[in-house]
Amino acid sequence: MKSFLENTWKHRAHVVMALPAFLILFFIMYVPMAGLVMAFKSFDFSKGIWGSPWCGLDNFKFLMASKNTFISMTRNTILYYIIFTGLGTFLNVVLAIAIDQFVFKKVAKVMQTIMIIPVFISYAAVQFIVYAFISTDTGILNNTFDMGIRFYSTASWWPLILTIVKIWNSVGYGSVLYMSVLAGIDTELYEAAQIDGANKWKQIWHITLPSLIPMITVMLLLSVGNIMRSDTGLFYQVTRNSGVLYSTTQVIDSYVLNAIFKNSNFGFVSATSFFQSIVGLLLMLFANGMVRKVSPDDALF
Amino acid sequence: MSKKKGNAADLAPSKEEKKGLGQYILGFFLLLYTLFCGLPILLVFISAFTDEKSITQNGFSFFPEKWSMAGVNSVLRYGSQLLTSYGITIFVTVFGTFLGLLVMSMFAYSISRKDFRLSKFLSIYLLIPMLFNGGQLSGYVIFTSYYHLKDSLWLLILPLCVTTMNVIILRTYIANSIPNELMEAAKIDGAGEYRTFFQITLPLLKPSLAAVGFMMATAYWNDWQNALLYITSDNKKPLQLLLVNIQKSIEFLLNNSNVPASARAAMGGNIPQYSSTMATVLVVIGPIMIVYPFFQKYFVKGLTVGSVKG
Repeated sequence: MKSFLENTWKHRAHVVMALPAFLILFFIMYVPMAGLVMAFKSFDFSKGIWGSPWCGLDNFKFLMASKNTFISMTRNTILYYIIFTGLGTFLNVVLAIAIDQFVFKKVAKVMQTIMIIPVFISYAAVQFIVYAFISTDTGILNNTFDMGIRFYSTASWWPLILTIVKIWNSVGYGSVLYMSVLAGIDTELYEAAQIDGANKWKQIWHITLPSLIPMITVMLLLSVGNIMRSDTGLFYQVTRNSGVLYSTTQVIDSYVLNAIFKNSNFGFVSATSFFQSIVGLLLMLFANGMVRKVSPDDALF
Repeated sequence: MSKKKGNAADLAPSKEEKKGLGQYILGFFLLLYTLFCGLPILLVFISAFTDEKSITQNGFSFFPEKWSMAGVNSVLRYGSQLLTSYGITIFVTVFGTFLGLLVMSMFAYSISRKDFRLSKFLSIYLLIPMLFNGGQLSGYVIFTSYYHLKDSLWLLILPLCVTTMNVIILRTYIANSIPNELMEAAKIDGAGEYRTFFQITLPLLKPSLAAVGFMMATAYWNDWQNALLYITSDNKKPLQLLLVNIQKSIEFLLNNSNVPASARAAMGGNIPQYSSTMATVLVVIGPIMIVYPFFQKYFVKGLTVGSVKG
C-alpha cells in the first residue's frame, strides 16, 4: 500500500494530466449511470431522481403490459442491426477488394474520396436529400418512373429505404479499414500463386479473403455489443419521425428521444433504458470474451 | 502503412500488365457505386440553384428547366440567424475538438506510462463507459435538473469531448509509434513531466491527433441531437438545429392544412421553399466537403493505426 502511494506521488504529474478527462467522464458518463435507478422509481421531475419514491418493479410491469410497443421496437432495433451489419460488412469487404484490384490507382483514389463523403453529412441534412428523391409530388423517383408511391405514409417501404440510406452513408467509409489490411498483404504471395497458375478469382478466394477474416471477425464481434443501440439520426430524422411509419421505423433510441420531447411515459422509458443498458452490457462482455478466444490482441480488455 | 502501399504498387507489374477487359468492367461497377454516392450530393448543389417554380411543377431534377439564384439569396437574406448559427457551430467545433484532443492525449499519455501503477485503474475506468451507459433519458434528467445546464453550450461540447475509442486510438499510437527512449532522454536532460509531454510527445503525436481531431470535428459539426434536446434560445442555435427547425416548420404546415390564411401570411418569410431549403443544406454541409479532402490521408492512416493494434 505504501509503495503504491509512493508510486502515485512519484507520478503526480501523470495524475494531474489524467484528471480533466477523468472528471469529464465522471460527470458525463458515470453520474448518468446512477440515474438508471429511475427504472425503479416513480419519477417526478419536481422531486428529482433521488427524491422520487421507489416503486419496485412497477415500471417493468408497465413495460410488460404495453408489450406490443416494446416488442415491436426491440424487434426493429435488432433486425436493423442484423441487416446493417450483415449487408454492411459484406459490401465493405467487396468494395475494399474491388478498389484494391483496380489498377488505375489515381482514378480509384478520386472514386474513394467521393464514396467516403456521405459519412460526413449529418442525418439532419440527409433527410432533405432523401425527400428530394422520394417525396410524392416532387420526388425524382416518382417523377421519373411515374409511380405515384406515397413513401412517407407507407411503412413497408422503409426497411428498404433506410437500408439504402445506411449503405450510402457508411460503406465507403467502412471499407477503408479493410483496405488497410489488403495493403499489408505480402505481394510475394500473389506472385507465387500466379506462377502456380492461379487466376484472379482463385487468388482472391485463397489469399485475399483469408487475410481479411481476422479483421472481419473482430469487427463483427465488437459490434455485437451495440445491438441495442441505433444510429438515432437515421431513424428519427430520415423518417421525419412520422408516426405512420413507426411499425417499421421505431427503434429503442428514437422511442426514448420522442418520449423525452413529449415529456411522457417516463416509467416505461426508464424501464426500457434499463433493459437496453443491461442487455448491452451482457452482449459487450460476451463479444469481448469471444474476441479474446479468437484473437486475444484485439480484445478490449 | 503508406510505405507498404507504395511497395505493393511498385512490385505489382503483374497487375499492370493486365489492363484487360476485366479491369474496365470492374471500373464500370466502381463508377456506378461512385455515382450512387456522389449524385445525391450533386442534387443538393443543383436544387439550391434551381428556380422554385421548376421544382414545384416538375419536381427535383438533375436537369432543371430554369436556374435561379433566389434560393441562395433567400438563405443569405435571413442572414443574421445564419451567421449566429455558423458562429456557434464553428466555436463549438473548434473549442470542443481542441479541448478534447488536449485532455484525451494527456490521459492517453498518463495511462501509457509503464511503471505508473494507477494506470491500470484508469484504463478500466476508461473502458467501463463503453460497456455500460445510463442512456439518453437519465443523461437528459441529470444534465438539465441536476447540473442545470439546459440551454448551455457546455452540453454541446462536453458530451462529445472524451470518448473511450478516441483515447484508445491515441494511447495505441503513443505506445507503438513514439519511442519511449525519446521521453527518457528529455527527462535526463532535465525536462519536467509537463514539458516532456508538451514539447516531445505532443508534436510526435500529430498524425494521430489529426485523424482523431478530424473525426471529432465532424461529430461536433454534425451533432443535431444534443442541440435539439438542450438548446432553446436562438442565439445559441447551431447550424444543424436550423435544419431540424426548417423541417419542423414544413411539417407544421403540412399537418395543419387549416392554418388560417392570416397566420400563413404572418409566417410569410418563413415558409420554407424547396430551393432555399436545399441552399441551407448546402451551406451546412459545404465546409466539410471543402475541408475533408485535406484530412483524408490522415484519418485513413489514423483509423488504421487505431484499429489494427500493433
